[in-house]
Amino acid sequence: MDGLVLAPTDFVALLNQTLEFAYPTVVIEGELSNFRVSKNRWVYFDLQDEIASVKFFGTVYNLPGPLEDGLKIQVVGSPRLHPRFGFSINVSSISPVGEGSIKKAADLLAAKLQAEGLFDEERKRRLPEIPVTIGLITAANSAAYADFIKILNERWGGVDIRLADVYVQGAQAPLQIVRAIEYFNELSSLVDVLVITRGGGSAEDLAGFSDERVVRAVAASRIPTLVAVGHEVDTSLAELAADLRASTPSNAAQLVVPSRSETIAGLAVAKKSVTEIINQRFQTASQEIQSSREYLTSQVNLLLSDRLKMIESTKKLIIAFDPRAALRRGYAIVSKQGRNIASVKQLSPNDKIGIQLADGKISAKVQET
Amino acid sequence: MAKSPTKNYQQLATELNQLIEWFEGDSVNLDEAVDKYEQAMSLLKQMEEHLKTAENKVKKIAVKFDAS
Repeated sequence: MDGLVLAPTDFVALLNQTLEFAYPTVVIEGELSNFRVSKNRWVYFDLQDEIASVKFFGTVYNLPGPLEDGLKIQVVGSPRLHPRFGFSINVSSISPVGEGSIKKAADLLAAKLQAEGLFDEERKRRLPEIPVTIGLITAANSAAYADFIKILNERWGGVDIRLADVYVQGAQAPLQIVRAIEYFNELSSLVDVLVITRGGGSAEDLAGFSDERVVRAVAASRIPTLVAVGHEVDTSLAELAADLRASTPSNAAQLVVPSRSETIAGLAVAKKSVTEIINQRFQTASQEIQSSREYLTSQVNLLLSDRLKMIESTKKLIIAFDPRAALRRGYAIVSKQGRNIASVKQLSPNDKIGIQLADGKISAKVQET
Repeated sequence: MAKSPTKNYQQLATELNQLIEWFEGDSVNLDEAVDKYEQAMSLLKQMEEHLKTAENKVKKIAVKFDAS
């Protein structure tokens, strides 16, 4: 290049070409300093160690959450020489590293999101009792996936599972998880529940699930979410924002569907109770028929016995009027020319009269009156 | 979503719950009760069948969720 004279613009272009060829992306890890956000959009900071300090430039969309000076972070970016502002690295992703920094960054983010109400109990929706479709966001070749499916198959059947195969750790993980959540939420026919899960790992492995973008995507999901990350003891911010959290991928499968055997037992109870109810209904109806029959019978009997009594007393009355009864007691009926005589004034001496007694009739003549 | 002609478990369960509610109500129409009892028994059978035989299906989404 001896003797070649370049204009500043040409030099910048040449250097950028060289950088792009030699170092398309670099990963730099160091202590964050001079962190500042301009116009809510542009992010500037330096990464430093004991000797060197390197400038970085990015946007707020690259941030995993709130950051503060002193944190140890790892940045993926491309080195560039800006025509006016000099050398910097254009950020494509940032992640806190080391347990202390990850925890610190997560605490900062947790406080911010807590204040916004993202973790509030009132926001939490009930998951459907029995999902027909599940959107599963995890790594297809992971133990978490295998555990989830194994327990799900043991517990329940007939579920359609749509698997979104994503990275669950590393720099690409947060955005992939966010895109997968957005993908499911944009479908015209929504799945019943979103399960976002991965197994245990180091604080760095799990860091993606405390990434602000992931946490916000979980909170914004129209579909109810179940998030299970790591082992029992690990709690990621995405879990706090989810409608339901599970301690492990297996536990997620336990929470998302009921148990087959318990449900079969429940069906037996339902069968028994419906049978009992219908039997009872029939028993009640037949008791009603029986009591109606008894009532009708007794009413008819009452009516009949009333009638009988009446007939009986009428009969007695009629018997009392029977003149033959009097004849049997010694009375007689006196008649003249076929007519009954009730008074001596109707008779004169020598009248021929008939005297009717109980057992026959005699003729006689009146001697005096 | 591929629509299957048979009802899914949730639909069967909903129908069964409606029938059970009916039975627990005050209605004493026995003709209807017999009919509904038979429906309930058929639903229960289908639900048991479903629980014993249905399998979960996993379909991997073809979309790539690349960050870039």
